[in-house]
Amino acid sequence: MTTTLEHTETSAEPRGGGLARYQNFGTAVVAGVIFAWIGWFIARKLFWSSSDNFSDQVATMTAVGWMIGFWIGIGAFNAPFRWLLGNDNSRDDDLYYAGYKQGRARYWKYTTDHKVVGVQYIIVTMSLLGVGGILAMAIRTELIVPGTHFVNQQVYNSFIAIHGMVMILALIVAVAGPWGNFVMPIMVGARDMAFPRLNALSLWTLVSAAVLLVTVLAVGGLPVGWVVLGTIADQAGVGMDFFAMAIVVFTVSTTVASINLITTVITMRTKGMTLDRLPIFVWGTIITAVLALYAFPFFFVAELNQLLDRTASTSFYIAAGGGTSWLQANLFWLMGHPEVYVILIPAVAALFEISSTMARKPLFSYRTAVGAMVALSGLSALVWAHHMFTSGWAPTLGGPFMVTTELISIPTGIFFLVLVGTLWRGNVWMKLPTIWMFGFIFNFIIGGVTGIYLSDVPLDEQLHGTMFVTAHFHYIFVGSVLFGAIAALAYWFPKVTGRYLDERMGRYSFWLVFIGVQITFGAMFLSGLKGMPRRDASYSLAFEHTNFISTLGAYIIMSGMLVLLGAVITSWRRGEPSGPNPWHANTLEWQVPTPVPLENFLEEPVITQDPYHYGEELVGQ
Amino acid sequence: MSIADIEPQSEMHGGTPGHHESPEKVDARQRVGIWLFIGADVVTVAALLFTYLYLRGVDTAGHWMSMVGFPGHLHTYSEWENLYNNGTLGNPKPVYVGVLSAGLQWLTAALTVVSAGVLWFGEKSLRATKNAKAFSPFAIVAMVLTLVGVVVCAIQLGDIPQIFVGANDSITMSYTTYDSAMMAIIGSTLGHLVLLAFLGLGLAIRSARGVISGDKWYQVRLVRYFWVWVAISAVVSTLITTTINTVH
Repeated sequence: MTTTLEHTETSAEPRGGGLARYQNFGTAVVAGVIFAWIGWFIARKLFWSSSDNFSDQVATMTAVGWMIGFWIGIGAFNAPFRWLLGNDNSRDDDLYYAGYKQGRARYWKYTTDHKVVGVQYIIVTMSLLGVGGILAMAIRTELIVPGTHFVNQQVYNSFIAIHGMVMILALIVAVAGPWGNFVMPIMVGARDMAFPRLNALSLWTLVSAAVLLVTVLAVGGLPVGWVVLGTIADQAGVGMDFFAMAIVVFTVSTTVASINLITTVITMRTKGMTLDRLPIFVWGTIITAVLALYAFPFFFVAELNQLLDRTASTSFYIAAGGGTSWLQANLFWLMGHPEVYVILIPAVAALFEISSTMARKPLFSYRTAVGAMVALSGLSALVWAHHMFTSGWAPTLGGPFMVTTELISIPTGIFFLVLVGTLWRGNVWMKLPTIWMFGFIFNFIIGGVTGIYLSDVPLDEQLHGTMFVTAHFHYIFVGSVLFGAIAALAYWFPKVTGRYLDERMGRYSFWLVFIGVQITFGAMFLSGLKGMPRRDASYSLAFEHTNFISTLGAYIIMSGMLVLLGAVITSWRRGEPSGPNPWHANTLEWQVPTPVPLENFLEEPVITQDPYHYGEELVGQ
Repeated sequence: MSIADIEPQSEMHGGTPGHHESPEKVDARQRVGIWLFIGADVVTVAALLFTYLYLRGVDTAGHWMSMVGFPGHLHTYSEWENLYNNGTLGNPKPVYVGVLSAGLQWLTAALTVVSAGVLWFGEKSLRATKNAKAFSPFAIVAMVLTLVGVVVCAIQLGDIPQIFVGANDSITMSYTTYDSAMMAIIGSTLGHLVLLAFLGLGLAIRSARGVISGDKWYQVRLVRYFWVWVAISAVVSTLITTTINTVH
């Protein structure tokens, strides 16, 4: 048998699906709540005591119940049990799971079509950004003037923790989730992802974890910060149990997604799609996936230990029992710094793609760009202890870790070189994706340079724990990654919807967010340089003006993001039609019709050259 | 246009997901997937062993092991409070908190290795004889061996003694860091064995129903890859925890 596509003229609704016909997000939530109650009830019988009637064991079993119920309700266990019983999916079943002829309902189901999963990731990412953004505004509102006004210190710290982790989750999936799923398989000439059911699994496990993470605020919060250091985590209430369980499940989601992305690229490339013809975004996605496969198991074990300490009386991080919080710090940051590049690399790779298309020039130094992404991934595994310079752990390693951290600036410098080299003397098409890309370049310079300061041990001793650090990583995450993610959204939006993202509203949004970022985090740098500590709801009068300015800037960012949300909604419904290839790009996703057919290609494509041959006919003239 | 408008073109082409490719192609893809999954699992097991070795290295407050504790059958706060407040320290009888039974650890590892061997032998036989029905007994034996391993792990976890420690101005019961790390490692082995039992049962049923046949045996090989990795991880973990355990 060959891999040629079979096109059967099927017009009838598929009869398959079995139990999945009755499962969707609604049944998942209902089953999740029921199983959470069952978990709570059983645990209360087993572990209840008069002094602690919602103990850590009870909370953990409630969380486990939620997860199991949600997965049963959405249909995640259907396929494993069908496999167990030797009752594999029929063709109709596969069609049903792919969302065939189900209209909008398929976006609420355990649908396997990679394009549906991509759209689901867009919605999940925007929802997470919304929740994290609301918490950010609550934080900045509290900080508008000195003293505590709206929330007390405990609630403020909970807001900080959940804002931090929700935003981290959102940014981890912000580019690799939607576009790694929607466009990446098409870019390599594949009909779908390698493991379509695992694709749906990664999405819905993320949803179940995200719901649990937000629920933390309703069960006492998490007043110990998003890093949840071992020294203070045991002081947190049952919100900590929900948090740890959410992270454990999130790491599973990430692992499953990474395996799927890598396998798709390794085994499902079309004829002629050699490694040196891979679109640069595909390289960025799989390098990120490899990095995630390495990094997130450490996070899994870090939080599993935390759960065991709280529910099974172990002593991993509890000094009284012989544990040490340095273990938690090491495990956490072994994940924590690679995670920064899991977030950053897909955004940069998307911008490489955009820069070449919009400048109508070949990507500058393609192989160097790939090498820089690989180098950055490798180096990111060797820098984790720079987060622990002031912790007292292994002071003699400060020098080596300072050097490895500063080496990071070489591959990131190459990113600038590739971007600027591609744009240089190009006939740059100043459309919405390009504008957000320029915003990225500006902000990433500031975020990157301030990172070099923080990698320096003596300076880090002074700046650690101040708002300077907060401003630095917000320039990276908001000013850079979020700008890159929005550029990617503007670029691929026509492929998803068949319509342009509204240019006018998009430009308003850009300027509001861009100016807001400079005001908010520029002033935050000043707060930090003056010594303002992080994670404090109240502060000295010395920081009054810079905090007021930061809060003002935050409201401007919020306005810009709301305008962007409006642009997305209105453009999706009635935006200007774009046609299948509005940017006249060469990569495969633009060569297929819009909307994209169920299996992407009418005929299996054959690749004869790399996708960046813009303007090469002029070279010899 | 709305999201729903994406649908009609799908109908035009009438895709048939998952039914275009040869078993060889699907096998090749799933092999890459299982190797990547094993890679992630390697990092997870390595993180558990890192935890074990790190805690042994720091030996905070001498709580790695070598203390007096109580058999690990007390699970509720009320049981702990009763033991502590009523001064019934002689009942249950205190025990010396030392190294866990190396014999049980090696028994678990041996069961995993033997079960992997049985599955591998069954796979070879299946590929040689093309007799799918004859494969079922191998899968069942392998599954039963892993279930015995699950029981041995449960016995090990149940026997871990607890100690009294002071925390947050109160006295509570806890595990030494050695026992904490061992709980995670044994728990990890137990989790892996439960997964293997599920896979073994699936292979047995599928071969009995003819879904696995003399020509369609590749899923057996995929499971065997994972099974062998679990056996290797059990042996490596046991080797480390039985040879590097006390603090001098």
